[in-house]
Amino acid sequence: MKIKNIIITFVSAIAILFSTSVVSLAKVVGDKIILGAAISLTGKYSSNGVHTQNGYNMAVDRINSMGGVKVGGKTYMFDIIYYDDESNPKRAAQLAERLISQDGVEFMLGPYSSGLTKAIAPVTEKYGVPMVEANGASRSLFTKGYKYLFAVLAPANLYLDVAIRTAVELNGGKGVRIAQAFEQDAFSQDVRLGILDAAKETGSKIIIDDKLPKELNDMAATLAKVKATKPDVLVVSGHTKGALTAIRQIAEMKVDVPMLAMTHCDAAKLSKQHGANSQYALCASQWHKTLTYKDDFFTDGMTYDADFTKEFGYAPPYQAAESSAALLVFKDAFERAGSFDQKKVRDALAATNMQTFYGNIKFAEGGQNVDKPMVLFQVMCDDAGKCENKVVAPLKWASAELIHPIPKWSDR
Amino acid sequence: MNKNIILYAAILIFGVAAPFVFPAFKVQLSILCILIILAITWNVQGGEMGYNTFGNILFYGLGMYLCASVQVGMFFPLAEWTEGGGEKTFVHTPAQFFQGFAVGLAVAAIVPAIVAGLIGYSILGLRGHYFAICTLGLGVAAGEISGGIEIIGAGQGFTTPPFPKVGSLEARGEFFYFCSFAVLIFTFLAVKAIYSTRFKLVLNAIRDNEDKAEAMGIQTMKYKIIGWMISAFFCGLAGGIMGGLVGYIDSTDVAFDGREMGVFMVLMAILGGKGTLWGPVIGATVFHIFKEGFWTFFLGWQYVALGVLIVVIVIYFPEGIMGWLREKYPERFGEVVDEADRKAQVELK
Repeated sequence: MKIKNIIITFVSAIAILFSTSVVSLAKVVGDKIILGAAISLTGKYSSNGVHTQNGYNMAVDRINSMGGVKVGGKTYMFDIIYYDDESNPKRAAQLAERLISQDGVEFMLGPYSSGLTKAIAPVTEKYGVPMVEANGASRSLFTKGYKYLFAVLAPANLYLDVAIRTAVELNGGKGVRIAQAFEQDAFSQDVRLGILDAAKETGSKIIIDDKLPKELNDMAATLAKVKATKPDVLVVSGHTKGALTAIRQIAEMKVDVPMLAMTHCDAAKLSKQHGANSQYALCASQWHKTLTYKDDFFTDGMTYDADFTKEFGYAPPYQAAESSAALLVFKDAFERAGSFDQKKVRDALAATNMQTFYGNIKFAEGGQNVDKPMVLFQVMCDDAGKCENKVVAPLKWASAELIHPIPKWSDR
Repeated sequence: MNKNIILYAAILIFGVAAPFVFPAFKVQLSILCILIILAITWNVQGGEMGYNTFGNILFYGLGMYLCASVQVGMFFPLAEWTEGGGEKTFVHTPAQFFQGFAVGLAVAAIVPAIVAGLIGYSILGLRGHYFAICTLGLGVAAGEISGGIEIIGAGQGFTTPPFPKVGSLEARGEFFYFCSFAVLIFTFLAVKAIYSTRFKLVLNAIRDNEDKAEAMGIQTMKYKIIGWMISAFFCGLAGGIMGGLVGYIDSTDVAFDGREMGVFMVLMAILGGKGTLWGPVIGATVFHIFKEGFWTFFLGWQYVALGVLIVVIVIYFPEGIMGWLREKYPERFGEVVDEADRKAQVELK
């Protein structure tokens, strides 16, 4: 019966392991404000997870080097504890719990993607931990009555509705025929709802409405249907992989469509990866470097773009910019609250009304940013094959005129 | 027998005291309980019956969706709850929450068992690799299908009812921990009881030589189906609790998570030693501790480390930890070893 002894030893070994690994870090240690974040460093969202992390790090370095955060007459520096959520909501929820109850974090930054934010929000809400998130845009995040969730970005249903309205306008106010394909995830499905609303209001007809799997590597079936039915607008949304897959296969299959509207073009570095093939793609973006917003830390979009490129070796997609903005919001709130009391910080966050290089930030009741419109840019290439993203809508910031309809592949 | 009682008492005391002794680890401990349940139930099918299945994730995911749907649907219109961007917020009262969860769990156990019976009837005729590959498809298909069903949230996912405001901040963690611990004990005792009957011998006979078993007059199909139904029953329970614990159900990443949970349950049973009662328990515990450790100390490399662990298991512990122990210390498992006979055998080799 010695086997039982082994089991007993085993159980006690676990007990010891658990008891020795309890490390409690306070939220503010010495002159440091420690924020917690679960980020997708591996898995399907890993590239966007890294954009998010780079954005956070960029802002932490900048704020710290420019004097840190002044609370109650003392100066504090930001520091972030990261964990890898593996792009998995189950893991993300577990990590949030771990950051709060084991690491003692009292202020959180958001993860990448709506699905993961949805998994984390109930946890932060339960503990009353204020979370400023920059990458969870799904509208359903803001209708659950969360009090401690603040998003610096515009909700997902607004991403592409401008594209549909523009298409209708160019069609002489008559409804258009829309083909759409969306990944089965919280964010993309919300973009879809936005299109459905826009279609209803403009009297447009949806002729193809496909759902694409996660880990999106093939959408040839949808494109074959598009070729056959010739819609006026093709809408695709499926994070970075969706954008890459769509452009690759549209070029391969030579699919002609007057308007191609997408999300995540800049995160996917479309113009770099696919060059002229990505030309004319219309992309929804939370931010673009040419927008004229300003702040004291990053000066403006162009400066942010240059600094970020210098530090990380690639141009910042909006996912990075909005992540940096989240830190600016936190800094502002801490200073206005003048305290590290979670409730006071929460109230200060709710009262945020500021401009950052990324845009104006003001939170509605549900926590979404209502003071910053989406922009649409179009990938445009010159004769040398060098491509650039140029803002085409809204007109206030447009740096180029929308090219419509997209020339046929046979004419390119 | 005396030692057994001490052991069980020790585990019970540890289990009851754990959330208070290690309050920060409640979630990890709850997940450990769930993992052990999954490993034990997989072992009924894969270890005792010899039908290696990757399909048990189907019952786990089914249980998760059913439990949450019942919990919501009993009191509020489910379609409005899960509607994308729904503007309405429903709040469960504590009584509604717990009643809903209890009924949900019951449904989450019974329906998967019935489904297992139906599916089992049609596919348990397959054997070996064919069965394994067929069941692999079940989980994948279920994930894709559920991702398209609007009433359970489709691609948007399903937010399970938030825990009502009762007790302290810790109440939620404690509730789910004790739920999973209670179900773990229930599962363990039930499976232990089953293993002491003729039923287990029949399963073993099917594993060792199905044709012979049939020739001896055993209605193998009947037993195979019942075996899988038992497996599904507890898998569904585990899924139901996990859904509430995570708070957000996604079709392919949380519910029908064949790539993680589906593989993990097989791995844990094999690591501990399949075909034993304690093997899956030990396997799941070791696995969970390793995983949590890798996660903390090898950030970004955790899957590489996990991969190395799998390779090591296959090379050095093909029979699992229990199998290895049994080979090393056979007398401790009540096996009588005749030293002279053993030597003679070694020399023969």
